[in-house]
Amino acid sequence: MSSGAQLSLEQVSKSYWRGPHETAVLKDISLSVFPGECVAVWGQRGSGKTTLLKVAAGLEAPESGVVSFKDQDLGGMSRTGLVRLLREEIGWARRSGPESDELEMLDYVALPLLKRQNLRRARRRSAAALARVGVRECSKARWEDLTDGERTLVSIAHAMVRQPSLLVVDDPTANLDVLQREEVMGLLRSTAEQDWLGVLITVPDMPSMVHAHRIGSLSDGRLLVPSGASPERDNVVEFPVRGRAAPG
Amino acid sequence: MSAKNAVLGLVIERPGYGYDLARRLQERFGSSGFAPTGVYSALDQLSSEALVRSAGSRADATTERAAPRTIYEATPKGVDHFEEWMLGGSSLAPVRDELYMKIALSKPHNLARLIELARSQEEDCLARLASLREPAARPGGGPRAWSDVAVLLVRDAEIKQLQARVEWLQRARAVMGKLNGAQIRAVARGDRSA
Repeated sequence: MSSGAQLSLEQVSKSYWRGPHETAVLKDISLSVFPGECVAVWGQRGSGKTTLLKVAAGLEAPESGVVSFKDQDLGGMSRTGLVRLLREEIGWARRSGPESDELEMLDYVALPLLKRQNLRRARRRSAAALARVGVRECSKARWEDLTDGERTLVSIAHAMVRQPSLLVVDDPTANLDVLQREEVMGLLRSTAEQDWLGVLITVPDMPSMVHAHRIGSLSDGRLLVPSGASPERDNVVEFPVRGRAAPG
Repeated sequence: MSAKNAVLGLVIERPGYGYDLARRLQERFGSSGFAPTGVYSALDQLSSEALVRSAGSRADATTERAAPRTIYEATPKGVDHFEEWMLGGSSLAPVRDELYMKIALSKPHNLARLIELARSQEEDCLARLASLREPAARPGGGPRAWSDVAVLLVRDAEIKQLQARVEWLQRARAVMGKLNGAQIRAVARGDRSA
């Protein structure tokens, strides 16, 4: 039966070895991302956020547990299947930019399409993706000319241009000021809602999380997901106060 | 810090009656821990100092209450007082935290319970963060009005405090866990050698 989740992690664990020492990075993590929602995971430096994203995006295999994409177990998938998935279905926003400094952003964002489409059509879609994230004016610019905020947005366009069903972004709000951060987070949220895709991001800064539909905190290898209830918002009640005939 | 100046500021922004002001105080300063009843004592105090006054009353058709509600507005003296407060210095809040005191005064046998307490506070912080989430996507782009940015900055300050709290709780929990584990192992060794 279909779970409806775009991505699901079930009891996923992973550890790293440094010499004879094993460090558990992820312990029994379970998490689902549904279409139309943006899920943000917060953690301190070294908490394993990036490892979690790599495992979720199929770039690294867990030691135990199951990672499924649209109910398909990535562990049981052929190499070709996995490569196709990574190329077409999962948009991983790379923060490092293009390999070549000469590339204009219109072409950089068009690159992921070139295997399937000719340059003219790929460029047209690239232009649409750049416009969608709000940096149409960066089409002719080179990576080194962009601000941190523009780089983030171009990276998101680069991941989005192939119209993936899951968008994965590691720390999209790094080095951004409050207003740029609001813009990027608002974009990720509206992208999830309007394009009906799952968005999974990590953030080192809690204020970035307020736009996410669901949040979690990673520490000591475990993921803590608070309940979505907001009791504090509703606890203003009208009641008579001692010494007052009619509270006014 | 009492709710007095916050309530005065809200009345200056827009006159309102007690319940309305309590609701607005909660919306704007929810996690400052002002009790909803604090609004009424603040209004009493502000009235006695002639910083706010009644601007008439309004019967509420939506409830069956007999008494009409008093609408409060700021007096010119109240506006002056608020301006003065705005220009004055702001003190740093004292850190007076129960968990800090418990840790400072605890004994090794309290560690297990303190770890639990730290964990549950961490959950509370995250639940509060979850409650601060934006209800809807904001239509993107464009510069924001200062009033929006001001709300954003204050919310950031509040969330950053939660974050600092969670970071400290996680570190404290890790260290206490390590020491507690060592202590349990030492006791087990003692048992064996006995």
